[in-house]
Amino acid sequence: MNPVNIKAIARKEFYHLVRDFRSMYLAFIIPLLLILMFGYALSLDVDNVRTVVVDQDRTELSRDFIRKLNASSYFDIIHHLNDSMSAITYLDQGSTTMAIVIPPGWTADLKADRSASLQVLLDGSDPNYAGISRGYITAFIESYNRDRLISFLNRRGMEQIKAPIDGRIRVWFNEDLNSQNFIVPGIIAIIIMIVGSMLTSLVIAREYENGTMETIRSLPVGGGEFLLGKAIPYFLIALIDVLVAVFMGQVLFGVVMKSSFYLLVLASTIYISVALSLGLLISIVTKSQLVANQMAILITFLPSLLLSNFVFPVGNMPKIFQILTYIIPATYFIDILNGIYLRGLGLSHLWQSFLVLVGMLIVLSNIGFSMLRKEGM
Amino acid sequence: MSWLRIRELVRKEFIQLFRDKKNRPLLIIAPFVQLLVFGYVLSTDVKDVRVGVVDQSRTRESRMLMDALNANRTFRITHYANHSEELEEVLLERKVDLALKMGPDFSDRIRSGDSAPVQILTDGSMSNMASLRIAYTSLVLDRFNQSMIREIYKQRLDYGKIDARIRTWYNPNLDSRNFFVPGIVAVLIMILSLLLTSMAIIREKETGTIEQLIVTPLRPIELILGKIIPYIIITQTLMIIVITFAIFWFSLPLKGNFFLLLAAACLFLLSTLGTGLFISTISTTQQQAMMTVFFFILPFFMFSGFVFPIASMPTAIQWLTYLNPLRYFLVIIRGVFLKGVGIAVLWPQFLSMMVLGLIVFTSAVKRFRKRLD
Repeated sequence: MNPVNIKAIARKEFYHLVRDFRSMYLAFIIPLLLILMFGYALSLDVDNVRTVVVDQDRTELSRDFIRKLNASSYFDIIHHLNDSMSAITYLDQGSTTMAIVIPPGWTADLKADRSASLQVLLDGSDPNYAGISRGYITAFIESYNRDRLISFLNRRGMEQIKAPIDGRIRVWFNEDLNSQNFIVPGIIAIIIMIVGSMLTSLVIAREYENGTMETIRSLPVGGGEFLLGKAIPYFLIALIDVLVAVFMGQVLFGVVMKSSFYLLVLASTIYISVALSLGLLISIVTKSQLVANQMAILITFLPSLLLSNFVFPVGNMPKIFQILTYIIPATYFIDILNGIYLRGLGLSHLWQSFLVLVGMLIVLSNIGFSMLRKEGM
Repeated sequence: MSWLRIRELVRKEFIQLFRDKKNRPLLIIAPFVQLLVFGYVLSTDVKDVRVGVVDQSRTRESRMLMDALNANRTFRITHYANHSEELEEVLLERKVDLALKMGPDFSDRIRSGDSAPVQILTDGSMSNMASLRIAYTSLVLDRFNQSMIREIYKQRLDYGKIDARIRTWYNPNLDSRNFFVPGIVAVLIMILSLLLTSMAIIREKETGTIEQLIVTPLRPIELILGKIIPYIIITQTLMIIVITFAIFWFSLPLKGNFFLLLAAACLFLLSTLGTGLFISTISTTQQQAMMTVFFFILPFFMFSGFVFPIASMPTAIQWLTYLNPLRYFLVIIRGVFLKGVGIAVLWPQFLSMMVLGLIVFTSAVKRFRKRLD
């Protein structure tokens, strides 16, 4: 390996990149823009569940119940309706998530110490959203009932019965349950994988298509030097992308690392190299920019999005897909990011994921190298 | 405008498309693979919550609580730790999702009429899943409390309480698949139509054959129609096949009218084909077009409500999503599949999609014609 050769190839590749404004734009600005936009906007949290109420009882107590519901930050009452048929229309149109119907005689039942039924209709189409909304309304009614129980006991003059167990639920790692804390790191991992492999998937195929591969073959440049030189400019771009994204995540979205920044840089370095060597390998195999591009999107975008434990938990998948997740680089990087960002873990806990990524890097770059050699480089 | 010339161009396009072996996987295999993978993998259900416990009291009451958890199908106790450090370690290593600590005085406190604290730690790293886990856990605890009260005080507490009858409509079992699979069909249609149209024109540009087409008596509008009609036919056919396949393979309910979906797809195609045409005017090589298509698809995909609910986005972005045709198509396709609603409910979506489609399409055509002249 001769550093001069590597530098020459890298410089040539860099000129290609700078001269073509569009690919510079694609490599640099678009990924950053996507990370920022997605980091800012994407969330799986549920608050202000849109709710319509049908109060058929119209008493002080029912109005008080509705007021309390609206005062909670979990619900947002968008309309008071007169009959349940119009509530159904709202649900059908998707303009509300929940409809609450207070039947006539509700207050009378409650005051006579009978249980009073309350109808809650929930749009279940989005299971994640509906499940969380259902949790909110159940908890709200539970606490409302607890207040009623206490006042009941006081009325009876009974000593206050304490709940036998007092569940103190605490959330770890993501204390305020903010989904951005796991979406932002995940988005970084996905975009870097796509951009890294998509950009490099073109660079060797381009030489083949333009016929300049013959020229390069006749140069005194080895396969390893060639690959390294090709990768360096993209490596720098991707690394800057990551660093800016991490910085922005911290400043703009408050997604703060709990563990070492240098560990993150180390992990990103390895991960970017994996993405680049995957792209280069695709490029060598396909020898056509179009096919290479399609392949890069196909084998990086979807798997990194779906099979990496990003938002879709691996535990829910059929066994065969669970096995597949083990060969996706993003799985390990997201695991490391999760450890660094949320759990505050160090290398002592994360070494396995690091090791797998390093292993992937060695395997991928060696395959690429030996394939180039077969081509006569 | 001559239909004969358009027909010939359509024929040429079909021949070209199917002759090239590289296109076959894109057209035939990719949609099905994506449908299957997405269908099996996309799931945010909280099904199998792994629980770790430290039981320092080891009494009947503590076992009852563990049984109550295990009896709930959602929870499964996988780790019995001896002390809390061990428990916290397995939580840290992601081996359990929920950790439960019962102190040595657990039963004594319950029997003496006091409250026994149970410390519950949950892994919040996926916050949406954690919220659901918390809701399910508190439900189990509440039920446990009620039965304990009944057992200890031996009396019924009939106070006026609200009995919430929560009914979940449209997708009663909250099955992720019912939500995601119809959406996948929409996404597939988008990807395919965008990619195919922009490629079809760029290919002519790249090989220089566009010049030949321009010198033929073909008029610009005929060229555009000839380039677009094949892809309308292909995407519609594909949609029929994919939907039928999805219904049978995933036993998906289709409550509404199938033909309404096809009509919606036509309006949707106006926008996507228009965008494809637009991309072909701003790109010079297939590679550039691919990249541009990809970076159009990504925001369309993310800001459509396909995975991330629009209601949870910042207000400014929520307004922006009104410009996303996929947003409307998803509402329609999910409405027809899950809710069984018709045009009476969905007309705002149809209308917005049509307006959006017409604007995008006509401006793309204008731009394209200018390029040709």
